[in-house]
Amino acid sequence: MELKNKKWSLDEFNAIRAEVLKTWPTGEGVNFEEGVKYQETIPAKRHFAKLLVKAKKNGETLTQPRAGVALIDEHINLLNFLRTEGEADLLPSTIDSYTRQNQYKEAQNGIEESLKAGRSLLNGFPAVNHGVEGVRRVVESVDGALQVRHGTPDARLLAEITMAAGYTSYEGGGISYNIPYAKSVSLEKTIFDWQYCDRLTGLYAEHGIEINREPFGPLTGTLVPPSISHAVAVIEGILAAEQGVKNITLGYGQCGNLVQDIAAIRALEELGEEYMAKHGYQDMVLTTVFHQWMGGFPQDEAKAFAVISWGAAAAALSKATKVIVKTPHEALGIPTKEANAMGLRTTKQMINMLKDQVFPQTRELELEINMIKAETRCILDKVFELGGGDYAIGTVRAFEAGVLDVPFAPSKFSLNKILPARDNNGAVRLFDVGNLPFTPDIVAFHQDKIAERAKAEGRAASFQMVIDDIYAISKGRLVGRP
Amino acid sequence: MTNKEKVILGVIGADCHAVGNKILNHALTAAGYEVINLGVLVPQEEFVNAAIETDAKAILVASLYGHGEIDCRGLRDRCREAGIEDILLYVGGNLVVGKSDFTEVEKKFLAMGYDKVYAPGTLPEQVLADLKEDLK
Repeated sequence: MELKNKKWSLDEFNAIRAEVLKTWPTGEGVNFEEGVKYQETIPAKRHFAKLLVKAKKNGETLTQPRAGVALIDEHINLLNFLRTEGEADLLPSTIDSYTRQNQYKEAQNGIEESLKAGRSLLNGFPAVNHGVEGVRRVVESVDGALQVRHGTPDARLLAEITMAAGYTSYEGGGISYNIPYAKSVSLEKTIFDWQYCDRLTGLYAEHGIEINREPFGPLTGTLVPPSISHAVAVIEGILAAEQGVKNITLGYGQCGNLVQDIAAIRALEELGEEYMAKHGYQDMVLTTVFHQWMGGFPQDEAKAFAVISWGAAAAALSKATKVIVKTPHEALGIPTKEANAMGLRTTKQMINMLKDQVFPQTRELELEINMIKAETRCILDKVFELGGGDYAIGTVRAFEAGVLDVPFAPSKFSLNKILPARDNNGAVRLFDVGNLPFTPDIVAFHQDKIAERAKAEGRAASFQMVIDDIYAISKGRLVGRP
Repeated sequence: MTNKEKVILGVIGADCHAVGNKILNHALTAAGYEVINLGVLVPQEEFVNAAIETDAKAILVASLYGHGEIDCRGLRDRCREAGIEDILLYVGGNLVVGKSDFTEVEKKFLAMGYDKVYAPGTLPEQVLADLKEDLK
């Protein structure tokens, strides 16, 4: 394999496909032509990609939960409950963690233990084990548009099965499903394996089937500055577009400062379009997703609802195309379906109340948008340069050099040299920019912001400040003051 | 060579939650322990092997993603088979799928042979205090 940001030929794809479908017995049940025919029967009201296009046109923000359990009937009940009781606009199938590591035997064991225990012992839906037939039962029994949400470095077989079964959206990417989700899988491998998923999506597109793709925006979900996640999102968008994907949603995880969060979504959409156009990918639709706070939550459910509401407000005011919703059980693990529905309804109420309000274009907002764009361009342009004009090669080299770096990532391929912390207004900045290729002006901007906070708190910026920020929201505030 | 007491740290099973792991690593190191941090995605046998190789006094297991019940079962037996039956075993995180009564969860994991079971949201200070007491 030679990694390049270049559209795979059909022969290259088919050679690998033959191997992929053999990695678990349910792979035999995949028939691409039949999958295309089935996809053609999915009505617009249950079609993820089409609903996003419509929402973007109408300036709406759609709600979507995370949810998944081990067994098919329970999974169907869960999703229908979230649709009716939670008023969810879009539905997920969150995949269990064994499947994410391609541990299908362990997933099978989890299915059997769940049957015995009468409750789900898996933290998601093991779609590969259920196969095309089982997954299609979900598609046919659930009244809503469905997306696969996971965290799988090698998601090729999962993509084959779920797309053939009728799913119309697929989350993930070669960077965003490696760096936060793996320890020792190389970026060469995950980018290559995700080119496969993108090429498969592109193949459906060539047969007239639009399937939405969504790079995972929040990365580690832990004080990730917007420019870092934006750079990854734009690169994954470009890699997907090259393989023929036509419907892409770029994501961002809430940081908590309203002006920074609104600026981030605006900048993300504009940067996405700018770089797509710059590299000649134009016949596509770009939308955005805002993730409610991905870090630690308060255990008190009343306080958790405040965090959820604040995320809903930021999502609505930023005009993101959809929002991924948290639940009041977040601090304690996987939520009940009732708690999940409550998070959805809280969010829906907030969005409905804010949809006719426009956040004013203030000087502060403009400054944030410009900063995020300037920082992201520094990173993207350096990645492109390191790759000799190729984002795939550039990404691998950029991570080696720390030009791309993700805070608190488990992967050994992230240098982990940067350290984020909040400024005195709660916006996420960098107190150590590591090897990020920022201009001296940008570095000084971050240093000044952190120095301002350190002075206000009468202490030096240190790792303790970062830890205080990580725990702050779960302890009841945004900035981790001493 | 140091004569610091050694502890094994890791996130068990197919779990890749890294943040708490990095913070515990920092807190334990600052408190004077030598931390052998196995990071995320750690199988049971890797915990045991690391404990044997380094002559560690404790294994600190984290599980955040809900599969803790399946992943953590049998670790004490594995330690026994490997000849380190007396090693301290701590476990913490979001150990089961779904919101559940913590006293039930604690009972279940104590019965599995863990010496301490921590509820979600436990801060490093609590673990440090227990470790100091148990290693006296």
